[in-house]
Amino acid sequence: MSVMKQCMAASLGMLIHAMAFAGEPGVALKVDQIRAEPFGDAKVTGALKAGDKVDILRKEGGWFEVKVAKSKGWVRMLSIRKGDAKKGGNEAAGLLSVASGRAGTGKVVASTGIRGLSEEELKAASFNAEELKLAESYAVNRAQAQQFATDGKLVARPIDYLPAVK
Amino acid sequence: MNLNKRWIFTGILCAVCGTAAAFDFGALKDKVNAELPKQLPPVIPQLPQPIPQVVPPQIQQQVIQQLPVNPAIVSVVKEVAGPTQEEEIAIGHQIAGNLLGAAPLVKDAKLQQYVNRVGAWVASQSERPELPWHFGVIETNDINAFAAPGGYIFVTLGLYRQLQNEAELAGVLGHEVGHVIRQHHLKILQQSKLLEAGSKALTSQTGNNDAVQKIIGSGAEIVSRSLDKDAEFEADRIGVVLSARSGYDAYGLPGVLQQIGHSAKDEGSVALLFKTHPHPDERLDKISVAMGARFDKIKGETLAKRFYRVK
Repeated sequence: MSVMKQCMAASLGMLIHAMAFAGEPGVALKVDQIRAEPFGDAKVTGALKAGDKVDILRKEGGWFEVKVAKSKGWVRMLSIRKGDAKKGGNEAAGLLSVASGRAGTGKVVASTGIRGLSEEELKAASFNAEELKLAESYAVNRAQAQQFATDGKLVARPIDYLPAVK
Repeated sequence: MNLNKRWIFTGILCAVCGTAAAFDFGALKDKVNAELPKQLPPVIPQLPQPIPQVVPPQIQQQVIQQLPVNPAIVSVVKEVAGPTQEEEIAIGHQIAGNLLGAAPLVKDAKLQQYVNRVGAWVASQSERPELPWHFGVIETNDINAFAAPGGYIFVTLGLYRQLQNEAELAGVLGHEVGHVIRQHHLKILQQSKLLEAGSKALTSQTGNNDAVQKIIGSGAEIVSRSLDKDAEFEADRIGVVLSARSGYDAYGLPGVLQQIGHSAKDEGSVALLFKTHPHPDERLDKISVAMGARFDKIKGETLAKRFYRVK
C-alpha cells in the first residue's frame, strides 16, 4: 500500500517534471529570423543571434517551433544546434580525446558493456559466408521496392543534385 | 508531439545506456599517402586523381606529356578506367562478408526486410538502380553506418535506435548509397594501387576470395578508414536529394546529424564515427548552406507510423 502510494507520487513527480520541460534545449548557430509559420515567406516575428538559447517545441519539415524568452515562432531547423552550451563543452572534450588517439586504443567499449565496433575488431574480422548469404537473402527487387513506396504513398519526383558548397 | 516523444525516448536511451555515436568508413588516406611513394615513381601519383582546377590546362597537358613512357603507365591508365561492375561487386562482397564477421546481422527478419525495402526504393532513385543493392542492420551499439562497393550497406543497431522515422532512415541509407554510386572507396583503392595488384583475380565468385582480400587489406579494416571530408559532404548532399526524390521529407538526414551531434556524450559509441567523419556540426553547417531554401516548397513524408521499431 505505502509502496503503491510511493509509486504514484513518483509518477506524479515525473509527470510534473516532464511538463516543466516545455521543450528540448537548443542554441542558435547563426543569425536567423523567427517567423509566424514554418515557411520561408511567412511573416517575420523576431530574430535570433548566434548563441541565443531556445526551447525547441516541435518540428515540421525543415523547421523548429521555438520558444525564445517570452515569444514563440518558427526558425529553420538547421540554424539551431540541439543541447545547451554546457553540453557543447563536454562534446569538445570528447572530440579532443578522440583526436589524441585514445580512440585508437581499441578500448572503445560502450559503458553498458555491450561491445562496440573498434578498428582492431574490424581489422581482425574474418569472412562470414553464412551471415553474408543471410544478408543477401533479404534483397528486394525494383518492383517490390515500388510497391513498398506506393503503400506508403511515396511518390518519386525529379530533384537535381545539390552543388558543393565552398 | 513527435518531438516530445523523441525527447522522452532519447532521455530513456541516455539513462539506460549513457548513449552513443557516429557514421561510416575511414582513415585510409594516411595509409595511402604513406604507401604511395614506395609503390610509384614520383611523377605518377598525380595521375589517378584529377589534376586540381587551379592548374591551367596547358600545364596539365605538359605534365601529361612529361610522363615517361613505360609499362607503369599502362597499368595507371587501367586504373583510371576503373574496375568493371563485376569487380566492384566482388570487392564489396568480400568487405561485406568480413564486416559481418565482426558484427553479425540483428536476428530480426522483419527489421532486415524493412531496411531492404526502404534502401532499395531510395537506391532506385539514384543513377545506378541496376546494382544488386543489399542493406542490413548489424549487432553493435556503436553508432555508425558502412558502405562497400557494389551496393552493400549496413547500419549499426546503435544508429538505428537513434532514428525516429522512415525519412531519417532513408536519409542515412541515401548517404551510404552516395558513397557507392560515386565509388568513393573504390577510388581510394585505386589510388593506393592495391586494386591493380590483384585485379586479374577479381571475380564475383561467392564465398571467401583470397585475391580480393589482398586488395582490401586486413579483414574489414577498410570500413574504418577515413574518406576525404569532401566525399562525406558530397554523400550528405546525395542522401538529402535521394530521400527527397523518393518522396520523403528532405530533412531526415540533417535531423539524424543534429541528434548525433547533440547526444554524443559517450565517446565510445561515436569514437569511430567521429574519427572517420567531420563532426556532425560541421556536416550540418555544410548541408544547411547547400540546401538553403530549395526544399521549402518540397514537402515529403516522414512515415513515423510505418517506421519499424526494434524491441
